[in-house]
This record gives sequence, C-alpha cells and structure tokens, in this order.
Amino acid sequence: MTQGLDFYTLLGVPRSASVKEIRRAYREAALRLHPDKNTGPGDTELFLKVNKAYEILSDMDQRAAYDQDLASHEAVLVTRSSFKATVVQSRRRLLQLDEPQVHYLLLDIEPNADLPAIRPPINLALVLDRSTSMRGARLDQLRSAVLKILQETSREDSTSIVTFSDRAELVVSPDQAREMSVARARLSLIQAGGGTEIGQGLRTGLNELEKYLSREGINHLILFTDGRTYGDENECLEIADYCAEHGITIHSVGIGNDFSDRLLDDLASRTGGSTAFLDTPQAIVSVMEGIHESLGRTVATRLRLEGAVAQQVDLRSSFRLLPEPMPMGDSLPMHLGNLPRDGVVRVLLEIVIHPIGKITELLLAHFTIDGDVLGVGSESVALPLQVRIPVSTEPDTEPPAEQITAALGQISLYRLQEKARHEAELGQSAQAARRLENLATQLLANGERELAKAALNEADRLVHSRRLSNEGEKVLKYGTRALLLPARTGDS
Amino acid sequence: MIECPTCRHQEFVGTLYCSECATRLVHTAPIGSVDELIETEAIVGDDGLPTTRGLAVGALFGLRLLETGDMVSLVGRDNFTLGRAGGGQAIVPDVDLDAFGAQDQGISRLHAEIRLDKEGVHVVDLDSVNGTLINGKRIEPQQPRRLRNKDIIQLGRLRLQLISRLRS
Repeated sequence: MTQGLDFYTLLGVPRSASVKEIRRAYREAALRLHPDKNTGPGDTELFLKVNKAYEILSDMDQRAAYDQDLASHEAVLVTRSSFKATVVQSRRRLLQLDEPQVHYLLLDIEPNADLPAIRPPINLALVLDRSTSMRGARLDQLRSAVLKILQETSREDSTSIVTFSDRAELVVSPDQAREMSVARARLSLIQAGGGTEIGQGLRTGLNELEKYLSREGINHLILFTDGRTYGDENECLEIADYCAEHGITIHSVGIGNDFSDRLLDDLASRTGGSTAFLDTPQAIVSVMEGIHESLGRTVATRLRLEGAVAQQVDLRSSFRLLPEPMPMGDSLPMHLGNLPRDGVVRVLLEIVIHPIGKITELLLAHFTIDGDVLGVGSESVALPLQVRIPVSTEPDTEPPAEQITAALGQISLYRLQEKARHEAELGQSAQAARRLENLATQLLANGERELAKAALNEADRLVHSRRLSNEGEKVLKYGTRALLLPARTGDS
Repeated sequence: MIECPTCRHQEFVGTLYCSECATRLVHTAPIGSVDELIETEAIVGDDGLPTTRGLAVGALFGLRLLETGDMVSLVGRDNFTLGRAGGGQAIVPDVDLDAFGAQDQGISRLHAEIRLDKEGVHVVDLDSVNGTLINGKRIEPQQPRRLRNKDIIQLGRLRLQLISRLRS
C-alpha cells in the first residue's frame, strides 16, 4: 500500500460511501484536477491517483479487496505504535441539526505491552519556597521529605535542590545529593526568610534540569510553595511553556491557604503535570514520596495529543481524569504528562459541533498520539487516531456510557464551584451563595458531608461578608476535583 | 437547544449536565429502558403489541401517596432528592413533600434520594432522622436499595408507592 492518503480520504468520502457518492466525489475531483484545466505542481499525479481510486472503489470486487488490504495495513500501523488508544463517545450517532450540538469523547491512552520495562533515570529539580511563612513545621517537613527522596534515588538519577525567597539558590547539586551526609548538612543550612519570588525559583530549577537533561529518562520539576508571587506570573508561565516544549513536566504543590492556586494549576496543566493542595504540613512527606514513586513507574514522557478537529468542530474544554484529575486547555497539541507503565492516561474532551447538513457520517477529529518512550535506543512510534461518528435524523436513545456520565457529573460539581468563585469575585455574592447552596445539596446527596459543610459555610460567609475565605476556595476547588479520583468513582 | 428542567437554562443538544445548576439532563437519551428493568406492570394493548419503551412516550413514573392518592411525578432527571423545604433554609430537595404534612410525618429536610440508572431504580436514605423503610423493612443509610414497581417507601411516617406504568 502506498504511503499517504487512502483512497477514501483522497476522494473525501466516508468508508461507507455508496457507489453514487463515490462517483459524485470523483467527478468533482476530476473536474478540478484535469490536466487540460490545471497545471499546478503535482496536480497531474494527484489526478492519476484519483482516477485509480475511482477505478478501484467503483468496482465492487476490487473495492472489497482494497478494504481488506486497507484494514490490515492500518492494523499493522496500530500494532507497531508505542501506544494504544480507545475512544468512547457520549452518543453513538449525531443528529442532522441546523443548530450546534455538544458531544463528549473519552480517550484512553495506554502503553503498548512491548515497551521496555525499566526504571528510567530521573532528572529532578525540587524547588522549595523558603519565605518567612515557611518557618517551622513546613520547612522541617520539607527537609525530611527531601531526605527520604534522596535515599530512594539511584546513581543514574540527578537530583537538584533549589530554594527561593526573594532570589533563588542551588542548595544541593546532583553530586552532593549522591552523598547523604553532605546533602544532610547542606539541607540543614536552609533558613526561612524573605518573600516569594516563584519565577526566580523556577528559573534556577530549570537551569539545573537543563544541565543534566536526559532523552532516555524523566525530566521533572516539583515546586513547593505556601505563598503568592507578585509581578512575575507571566515569567512563570513562560518558563512553564518552555518546559513543556523541552519535555519537562511541572508538579506544583501548594501548602496552606495563601498560595496562588490559579498560578500553580496553570503551571502544571501547561506541562501536563498536576497540582496538589496540602492543608497541613504533615502531608508533605507522603505527597513527595507519592510523586517520586510515580515518576519511577513512567514508561513514556511528553505524552501529547496532536492533530486537529474537523472544520465543523470546536474543542470546548478538556479534563484529564487519570492518572490525576486536572483541567487541561482547549487547544491542540495538548500536553498530557507522563504515561504510567501499568496505567492509563484518560482525557474527557467536550466538543461543539456546528450545524451539519444532510451528511451520514462526520470525521470529528484526526488525532496523533505521540510521546517519548524511555529507555536507551527506544524509538517511539506515534499512533494515528481517527474519530468518526454516524449522523442521522434519528436520535440515539441508548443512555451514554456510564464512565462519561459519572465523570461529567463530578466535573459539573467542580464547575459549579468555579462559577461561584467567579461570581463572588465580580461582586455577585447573592448569586454565588445560591450556587454554593445548590452545590452543597448535591454534595450531600452524594454522601460528601464534609465538602457540603464547607460549601454551606462559604455560602453563609458570602451573605455576611460578601467574600469567600482563602481556605474555603481551596477546600472546595481541590475537594470537588478529588471527587474524580479513581477510589471515589469506583473505577480502576 | 434544550432546556434544563430545574433552572430553565438553555443548553446545546447533547449536553449531559446543566452548566448553571449541574442537573443531569436527559433528552435525546430518555430515561429509557428503566421501565423494563424494574419489572413494570406491563400493560399490553388490545392489539397485543408489547409496551412501548421509554418514559418520554407517555409513560407514568412517580410516587403515589398512599393516604391521599396524590401522585408525584418523577420525570426529566435521573435522580431526585426527597425531603421538605422549610422556610429560609439553604437545602432544597428536588421533591418537596411539605404540602403533604412532611414536618408532622417526621421527614428530614434531605431525607432520601431516588436514583435511576441502567441497573434500575434505587432509593438511598440520606441519614434521615427517622429513617426510610421499604415494604416495612428499615434500610441502612447511604446504602442504595433496588426498588420494584409498587414497592412501598416509608419516609418517617409518610408512605409512598413507586408506580411505573404506561399512561392509559
């Protein structure tokens, strides 16, 4: 089979097209490309190909043989790929409508079984806030967390410890990190004091990562902070974008009530990482260990969803559900982070389909799933993925897949909280309070008593002081996001 | 466009949850085969044709108050909280039983929930003060219990019967 477009795509008809449709498509293409009319470079070649396509597809026997060839050719491509993907759609067919409609795609990406099973080397930068507010338990817990991580590193790993307040400094270099006694001594020198300049910390962390950047391993930055940065948010986001381009993932961890959750979320989601919220410093050690452990189970990094949605389709929003719930952007390519060896990366895409006429099938999107497979000499093979759906005048009466409705139900609670917060910021406190009361009712019906109570408290606060508390904002945001964790939804 | 039955917000066709109030929207996929799953009282027409599927085509699904015979319809969503909306409180159940003397009958503000899904119809007691009984048997709070057609659900002292059949 020739490389490039298959005959159906060449003629622009669905695989299920009738002979009549094929003939019409051929006539149009032939008129457009005929050598008498057209002299553009490559047009004659294309004309011959279109002729060939029509010759094959208009003949029942030849078409059947071609279909078989095509299927096995694509099957080979799919088996050679480093990744496997499945798509579940919220409806089995769309409606022929002259108004927009919403549709959901649940995309599961898994590694192929024959990918190397190694523990990849980890190039890690821990970027730690040492501003005044970190004094005491927070910094103590961070020190012990770092020491634990250092005990679990291997000789191939590079671990850099960076601290920052008004400026940043490298406290432990990878060489020093390999000698526990040296690392311990260096860590004990960390003193709390000063402001919170996150951009400084990120830049120094990134410099370290770039010195030891590894194509066979993982390049990761973990940011710990309890504060807000002022004036350098844009610089932080530029660093995050740079990291995403260069295969570095950012994990951000916010401690207490006063950190800037929006900035931390944005930093993480741009690189495919995730955000954790700790209301007590005691959780620092286990969270850090959890992140480090998951890095060791990574089989491919820089997992990306590339390609394009059809002209009639808009990507409205996307939410990563696994391995960690995280709202993602609404544009392609999308950085999805690390692919776990025994796990799956699951993304829910919400798309809007603009009015479609009397067609019988719509190619929703032509995606490519790509990533960097870890292990020396491993070549990654991207996976092409076409998402199609039949279009009809008959609505699909089957209920949508349980996984989709369950996830969307939780996401809609998360969105209620986001909306309430937005309204509170605009000064529409009565409206925001009503929304939180509604959220509380639904949380209570789901058995989430603590979270419901927090929502009611915040609703009450809105009525009396017209503001949400810093604590409540975070509890509700990360609490409703955590509803999507596998343990809660009963999904593996 | 479709309209949310709870808050009247307009959404695009295909939307599964209202973006204003997070109500589950059931439209192109009507609650569907639920009536088959809960052993409906099958009403076969004179022509001997089997019952039509789906609640959107004239089926009746709701709770009948045994004392008064009043019918509370449960249509348009796949979960309904039952309780009483006392004055000035934040939590409002989907089905307000205040009109039926809920307070005197010992019904909690958020007493129980009816859930409809592929497995059928379930009731969950939401840690109510006076508890929920199915056919005279007390059920554990927060544990969904499957319901069959004509089951009697008792909230506090108020007795309701699940009715699912085609409208004649």
